[in-house]
Amino acid sequence: MARIPGGGIVRGMKLTLTRFFQPKRTVLYPEAKPDIPPRNRGRLELVTDEHGALKCETCFQCAQACPIECIDMGGTDTKGRFAVHWGPAEQYAERREESAARRSGRTVSDAAAAQGSSIDLAAVDAALERFDYDPHAMLGILEAIQGAYGYLPVDALKRVSRVTGAWYAMVYGTATFYKHLAFEPGRTRSIAICRCAPCLAAGSGRVAGTLTTEFATEIGRAIPWSNLRLEALPGHLLDAPSPLVVIDGEPQRDLSARNAESWAAALAGRYAA
Amino acid sequence: MKHLPAPKGWAQPLLQPSTEPWAGLRAAVAAGPQGTLQRLEGAARHQPTARVTVEGWRAASNATGSERYVVGHAYEGDPAVFTSRLLLEANAQSVVEGLAIAALTIGATEAILAVRADEAAAIRAAETVIAAGLRDGHLGLNAAGSGHEITISIHPLQGSSMISEPTVLLKALDGKRGQPEQMPPYPSSIGYRGKPTVVSRVATLAAATWILAHDAAAYAEIGDPAQPGTLLVQVGGSIAQPGIIEVPTGTTLADIIAATGGVSRGATLKALLVGGPAGGFIPAQLLAATPYSDAGLATVGAHVGSGAILALDTTVAIPELAAMLARWSADEACGKTIPCRIGTRRLAEIGQRFVDGLAGPADAARLQALAADVADSALCAHERLAPTPLLTGVRYFEREFYSVAATPVAASTAKGRN
Repeated sequence: MARIPGGGIVRGMKLTLTRFFQPKRTVLYPEAKPDIPPRNRGRLELVTDEHGALKCETCFQCAQACPIECIDMGGTDTKGRFAVHWGPAEQYAERREESAARRSGRTVSDAAAAQGSSIDLAAVDAALERFDYDPHAMLGILEAIQGAYGYLPVDALKRVSRVTGAWYAMVYGTATFYKHLAFEPGRTRSIAICRCAPCLAAGSGRVAGTLTTEFATEIGRAIPWSNLRLEALPGHLLDAPSPLVVIDGEPQRDLSARNAESWAAALAGRYAA
Repeated sequence: MKHLPAPKGWAQPLLQPSTEPWAGLRAAVAAGPQGTLQRLEGAARHQPTARVTVEGWRAASNATGSERYVVGHAYEGDPAVFTSRLLLEANAQSVVEGLAIAALTIGATEAILAVRADEAAAIRAAETVIAAGLRDGHLGLNAAGSGHEITISIHPLQGSSMISEPTVLLKALDGKRGQPEQMPPYPSSIGYRGKPTVVSRVATLAAATWILAHDAAAYAEIGDPAQPGTLLVQVGGSIAQPGIIEVPTGTTLADIIAATGGVSRGATLKALLVGGPAGGFIPAQLLAATPYSDAGLATVGAHVGSGAILALDTTVAIPELAAMLARWSADEACGKTIPCRIGTRRLAEIGQRFVDGLAGPADAARLQALAADVADSALCAHERLAPTPLLTGVRYFEREFYSVAATPVAASTAKGRN
């Protein structure tokens, strides 16, 4: 039949005409409700009461009853601080790690993971204790951890996620967004260039261009021949000159757009010596 | 940054320390929440932004639920502006009092003062006032005899210039990634920790204190009748005396420059950059006719923005500066909306093509179209205002933009492309 020209059209039209004379199947939802099997649950949702408050009291029975273990469940205590799971640990403890990774949507890079292999987490616990295990104080917790270790070890972030109940994605998102938080150790010395409007008008853009060329690097990256990093200054220092370049918090006053090249060469010379 | 003395006749409600501390709070207690709102409305008159502020307070005071917050906003997004810091150092009393007034008005027990973490002196000044208020019973469990509890805490923040955006500030206070939220719902219904919140700049809070301590009608007399009040302006660049000055609204830009000692010796003024890194260029010949107010600056394509005025002399190349400012905006963008994440980068690239003399004839049209798209899709002011330097640069310094673009290199690439 496939060889006869037009056979496909005939078969198609047969289906079309059959359906054409059958009763219409459009359901006028929501006036008419479709006939749904009684065990169909559709999309799982938590039920709210008439005041809009969740009726779920995290009894974990739904997760225990679920035959294919697709329901995982957690809640927070009455003060909104600790993550709590009711039910036997072996049922969810392993799944929680996977679930945190899945929700985060991204894996931690290998270099960062290698650095966070084995550290003493006592300082993390002290920071968490100080902020009352409150996920709302995440910035303070992360700043305290960075103050203790000099950077944010991945193991510390995992610990924070596990203990506060905040998703790892949320902890990681906060840690990556704010520029004063760092994932790499050894951020000891930096050359920071101010990019505020007065500095740009005074030529800090050209200074930045000269320094990136002279030092063969980019803003935000290390300078190859030294332990310095080239960075953007987060904010102009009060009463500092423009264009402003800061080395380890010390404003450099003998620099302008004109002498940037010789200044960079002199700095490189000092380092070589 | 130095506080410059204002010329005679300029009212100084914000920076002049009040002679009678806590008078504003006492007046608010006496007037009650509704009376306080009425007095603030009387001072705001029909001015749009002030109306929005008062409406926000009213909405928060009418919101359901008992848990509410007040956030005093002293975080400058412009990395070179210190006006909020100066206000806190010079007159922390008015700001703290304003926080207490706002808390009392909307029925909040907790007020938070968000400041930049590196402003130690400002934080100390606020702490001193709060400690004195607690000691003398103006704050605390029974604040100023009102029967209401008011607790004020200071929250230092750092790490992103986006924090100056109100919804981002609330995220940062909540320990979350700093990305703005779509409004509505406004913070007055869903704000800090999901509760009704008033987010007010510290200058607004200090103005509220002045209005209650003095007279709403007297405040409405200050400055431009369409936008009564004063603004803190930081003047810098090629200026004889750079510093911060309190300016009544509606003062012309030429008068502001004159009040700061004029242009520095030997320099010729070319333009002002008004509004910080996302501000607009205003050429020197327009300064005498342009009043410093929302409406006045809007007519020339600029805005009050961060409150910075940067005087540019004839040595500054406008296309280069505009391109670098666009690059800064692109680098600071939080990346939540796609037109901001990618569009601001494309804007910076178009600006750079002008600087390099590689801009083709289509680039000017592309700049306008892209800038309109970026501004239209804006979730926050950062995105909405990011194209301003390039747009005003092309508008007023067209010849400078195209003199570079008309080099033979540009002509040949343009021909090759078409």
